[in-house]
Amino acid sequence: MKSTAFKRIVILGYGKVTGEVLTYVQEQKADYGYYLEFIEHEIHPFSITEKICREHEISFAQIADKKELADYLDTLHEKTLIISASNNFLFPKTLVEKENITIINFHNALLPDYPGRNAPSWVIYMGEKETGITWHYVTAGVDEGNIIIQKHCPIGEDTKAYELTETLMNLAYEGFRELFADVLAESVIGKPQQFLADRRMYRSKEVPGGGRFLMTDDPYDIYRLLRSVDYGKNDIFPRVHAVYQGEEIEILRYRKVDKSKISEGDAFLYLPLDESNVLKIKYQKYIPQEG
Amino acid sequence: MEEKILAILEEHCEEALTYEGNSMMEDGIIDSFTVINVVGDLEDEFDIEIDAKYVVAENFRNKEAIIALVQKLLEE
Repeated sequence: MKSTAFKRIVILGYGKVTGEVLTYVQEQKADYGYYLEFIEHEIHPFSITEKICREHEISFAQIADKKELADYLDTLHEKTLIISASNNFLFPKTLVEKENITIINFHNALLPDYPGRNAPSWVIYMGEKETGITWHYVTAGVDEGNIIIQKHCPIGEDTKAYELTETLMNLAYEGFRELFADVLAESVIGKPQQFLADRRMYRSKEVPGGGRFLMTDDPYDIYRLLRSVDYGKNDIFPRVHAVYQGEEIEILRYRKVDKSKISEGDAFLYLPLDESNVLKIKYQKYIPQEG
Repeated sequence: MEEKILAILEEHCEEALTYEGNSMMEDGIIDSFTVINVVGDLEDEFDIEIDAKYVVAENFRNKEAIIALVQKLLEE
C-alpha cells in the first residue's frame, strides 16, 4: 500500500487525455486507497469516459451547470485532489483556497505563454516553431498557478490545430504519469510562473486573424490561418471568410497539394505556396442564416 | 466507391477493416482524431461535404456504417 493523505480524487474533463488519466488513476486506486469519481461537465460527441466508469464501477456524474458543479465541489470536506484534464470549468476562488482541496490542471501550451483558450490555434497562427503542455496547480487566476511539469514538442510547417491537439494530449498523459505519485505524496515543488507585463489572455470568442483573410495576403499566411482553426468538424471556430471576385465566401476545406494536381476550370481556388505546391481551397458563397 | 473508402480507412485505421463489432469508438478502434482525418479524406475523394451532424459515433460504428453514410451523401 502506497501512502497519500488524499482521501478522494475527482476528475473533470472530456476527450482523449481525460479517458487516459481516468484509466491510470483507476489503476493506481488499489495501491493508494482513495475514492475516485468522475464528473462530466462538458459533453463530447465521442466521449468514452462514461464507458470507462461503467466498466470499472467508478462513480460517474454529469453536471453541466456551472453553479451546480461549484456547489457540489464545495460540499467536499475530506482531503481531495481535483484533476482538471481538458476542462474549461473555472474553479471559484473560494474552492481553490480551501485547505482540504488541491487542484491540478493541464494546459495545452507552455505557460506562462498562451494562457486561456484554444492555445494550439494561437501557437500555429503566431508561427511558433515549438509548443508543449503544462501541468500546474490551480489558483484563483486563470492558468497562473505554479508549474508542476512541462513537455515540449515541435510544430511542423503543415501542422493543423487538431493534429497538434492530439500530440499535446499524448504529452499531457505522459506528463501526468510522471507527476501523479509526487502530487499524491505532496512532494512537488511547483515552479512559480514569471509573467511579463504584456501577458495576454486568449478568450474563447477570439478567432485567429479575426477568422478572415484577404486574397492579397501571402498564401502561406492564409495557410497558417486555415491550419490554426482546423479542428475538423468540431465547430470551435466559425468557417474562415474572405471576399473573392466581389462575393463573400466561406472556406469549406483546404489542402496543400502538388502543382500537378491543379485542374483547370474546377470549383477550387488555387493559391501558389512555393515552386512545387499550391493551396487548394474548396469554398462556397456565404449566405447569412436568417434569425 | 467501397474500395476507395476501405483504402482511406486502411491508411488511417487498419484495424477498422477487420473489426466486426458495432462500436469502433467504444471499443477503442477509432478515436475522434482519426475520425477527423477519415472525414477529410472522404470529402476530398468524393467531393462531398460531411456536415458535423453526421460526424457522430453512430455513423462511425464500423466500416459498413461509414460506407452507408458516404452512399447516402452521394445520393443526396
